[in-house]
Amino acid sequence: MSTTPLLHLQHLQKNFGHFRALKGVTFDVYPGEVFGFIGPNGAGKSTTIRILLGLIRASGGTATLFGRPVWQDSVQIHQRLAYVSGDVYLWPNLTGGEIIDLLLRMNDQAHTTQTDTLIHQFGLDPTKKARTYSKGNRQKVALIAALSQEADFYIFDEPTSGLDPLNERLFQAAVLALKKRGKAVLLSSHILSEVERMCDRIGIIREGQIIETGSLAAMRHLTRTTVAVTLGDDFDVTTLPGLHAVTPGHAAREWQFSVDADSLATTMTTLAEHHIAALQSTPPTLEDLFMHYYAKE
Amino acid sequence: MSQYHKTGLLLRLNCRRDRWRIVIWIVVLAALMASVAAKFDGIYGTPHEIEAIRQTLASPGIVAMFGAFHFTGRVTTAEIFANEMLLFMALIQVIMNLTLSIHATRSDEDQGVTELIRAHTVGALAPLAAAMGELVIINGGLSVLYGLGLQLAHMPGATTSGNWLIGLGLGTTGLLFGTVGVLTAQLADHAASATGLAYALFGISYLARMITDVQHPQSTWWSPLGWIEKLSPYQHPNWTPVGLSLLLTFVILGCAVFANAHRDLGSGALTTRPGRRTASPLLRGPLSLIWRQQRNIFIGWLLGITLFGVAYGTVFNTIGNILKTNPTMQQVFGRAMVHDANHQILLNFTSLLAIVMASVAVIPGLQLVLKLHTDETHGWLEALYARPLSRSRLLVSYVSSALGLSTVAYIGGLAGVIVTGNASLDHVQDGISTAEFWQTIAAQLPMIWVFLALGVGLVGWAPRIKALSWGYLALGFIAVYMGGLLQLPTWVQRLAPTGWMPRVPVHAVNWTTFSWMVALSVLVLFLGWLGYHRRDLQLR
Repeated sequence: MSTTPLLHLQHLQKNFGHFRALKGVTFDVYPGEVFGFIGPNGAGKSTTIRILLGLIRASGGTATLFGRPVWQDSVQIHQRLAYVSGDVYLWPNLTGGEIIDLLLRMNDQAHTTQTDTLIHQFGLDPTKKARTYSKGNRQKVALIAALSQEADFYIFDEPTSGLDPLNERLFQAAVLALKKRGKAVLLSSHILSEVERMCDRIGIIREGQIIETGSLAAMRHLTRTTVAVTLGDDFDVTTLPGLHAVTPGHAAREWQFSVDADSLATTMTTLAEHHIAALQSTPPTLEDLFMHYYAKE
Repeated sequence: MSQYHKTGLLLRLNCRRDRWRIVIWIVVLAALMASVAAKFDGIYGTPHEIEAIRQTLASPGIVAMFGAFHFTGRVTTAEIFANEMLLFMALIQVIMNLTLSIHATRSDEDQGVTELIRAHTVGALAPLAAAMGELVIINGGLSVLYGLGLQLAHMPGATTSGNWLIGLGLGTTGLLFGTVGVLTAQLADHAASATGLAYALFGISYLARMITDVQHPQSTWWSPLGWIEKLSPYQHPNWTPVGLSLLLTFVILGCAVFANAHRDLGSGALTTRPGRRTASPLLRGPLSLIWRQQRNIFIGWLLGITLFGVAYGTVFNTIGNILKTNPTMQQVFGRAMVHDANHQILLNFTSLLAIVMASVAVIPGLQLVLKLHTDETHGWLEALYARPLSRSRLLVSYVSSALGLSTVAYIGGLAGVIVTGNASLDHVQDGISTAEFWQTIAAQLPMIWVFLALGVGLVGWAPRIKALSWGYLALGFIAVYMGGLLQLPTWVQRLAPTGWMPRVPVHAVNWTTFSWMVALSVLVLFLGWLGYHRRDLQLR
């Protein structure tokens, strides 16, 4: 991984009148990585992305892409950037095919065989007027235009919310291919399994602030592992320190609990002394992490 | 469950949603009518004043603009009022109805609101019935306000039955064209084409009325817009037009209901065909994108306004022939004087028509300028601005297209008038010379540019109130168009750019005014650019 980030955000702020939409967003995205940007509705994901695109102006902080300020140099930056918005609105009386070509040409690029392959793979009818497309088909138009564009930084804002599972897979494969070629991807998504599968690092935003960034593995250390255990004797698990939500199981000597990452080792050592008959441990999913941070007031 | 289930609920919802539109339209229209009526005795009170204006109103040029009315015996103030105001008010009321009816039907459907509503226990025809209900309430309300306003104004010669006949006549005409909007909303497959279709029908009715009025007033009965001229409210009140309007309203409504029942939600009788698989090589930037999106609208406007001009041109020979209204003139003054007089009439007619053409030509350009913000709120610009495209380039693309469109539309419209008009004349020397034509063009172009620049200024600094530019254009047009007949004070006529230039070709172009109006447009354009360059985009 290169040490100079492509995207650099430092204490980014945005006020809409008296409403503070972004209170301080700081994170970096490096070449060759997929950065997952997650958070509840209204947390400031789209606002952040729109600042990156130069559509709205930050009230404070710095934001640079390829080392250039995003507001002043948006035109130069956009030569090397591809973007798919969450709600895709297309000119109603143009066909999908026309829109794809137009968007490519505006980046001085052309319709290639790659474009045709993508149109075929996603199963888009490019001769239909955009007015008649469903949400999923509108998203396909934007995705095909972005994926067949040669760029260094890709921004996807909830790109798969209207796609069927087959097309979702196609999208994920395409993003992993971009990553292999050393491109940087900023992926904002609600589909946590998708983020879990694809992202190298994750930033969680809540109420206009980044509350956690890091790899999924590192984040897992910050939360609890769920454990179900069947012991060989009548040891009372509730006496152990560092456990939470301890409940007896259906059968005797069966327990369920969750354990903090730093108490996991001592817990396991103690349990081993009581003849573990069966053990099932579930690492926290991104959903658990998400809930953990979101619920924490 | 009936086809009309929950119509009442939808009607209340519509009225609540549109309450500000409705209130503004009703208040402005009722106040316009009542205030003119209240002032009228002061303008045309004495027999001398009435006689003078009666002759003016009988001249074919004014007939072409305000309709053919028949006067017999002693003419009263109220009759002059009806002559000047009826057709004019009807035009505004039709525009209001078309705007509201398509907004309440096809626009909702385009935005998916109708789909959301129809998923509940709502009858298939309830949205259409609710839209009709809204139109009935608005036109009914206006009828009552017109009637009351006229009663209160108490013009000499006004009668109670005449006052209410005017109210109901305008109300039913409005309702009739509102229903036309409801019908075109069923035929077209989106709001923009429904509006285009409805305005085309409105335009045909208007031109039919204009040509028949000038040449053969009896035939005006064939145009639904001409019925308003046949009310004769203060002479021989004639309720036939009201009945005819209502009858035709029911027929059109029947067609709309039939069309609604025989189509799928979201589609129309005129369906969208599949288009190109790949883009034409010419489609490669914002300017070509505007052309690709709007070309039908551009061509429609240019053809429409030129035809509008041609239609006006066909009445030149009737208007510019003073001997038709004053057969003894040639014996008294001689041939040369007659030609001079004819030329003078045509100059006068052209000067008023130039303002009409220029004001109409502002409309497509202003729509395009304001579309820059509409497109922004529709989210269409987000994909563009994610490309290497600067704000300035997109703004310049929209604004230069708008300036070009309005300029060409105005030149085309006036050329239609003058070319056809001169060709129709018995004596070519009575007509408008080439120099006079270009003077007239030069006189109105700065006004067009100032209005468009104002639109750019609003888009740059205060896009939320951009609709005010329509109000200002309407004010400017009414102040000048009605200014002479209503004897409005000079300051009122100069409130808007329409009144800043002297009447050309009657007078010469004032090049000083021309220069500072052009400078003003450049300045406001620059300010608009500055604002647009700096502000946040307003996205969904």
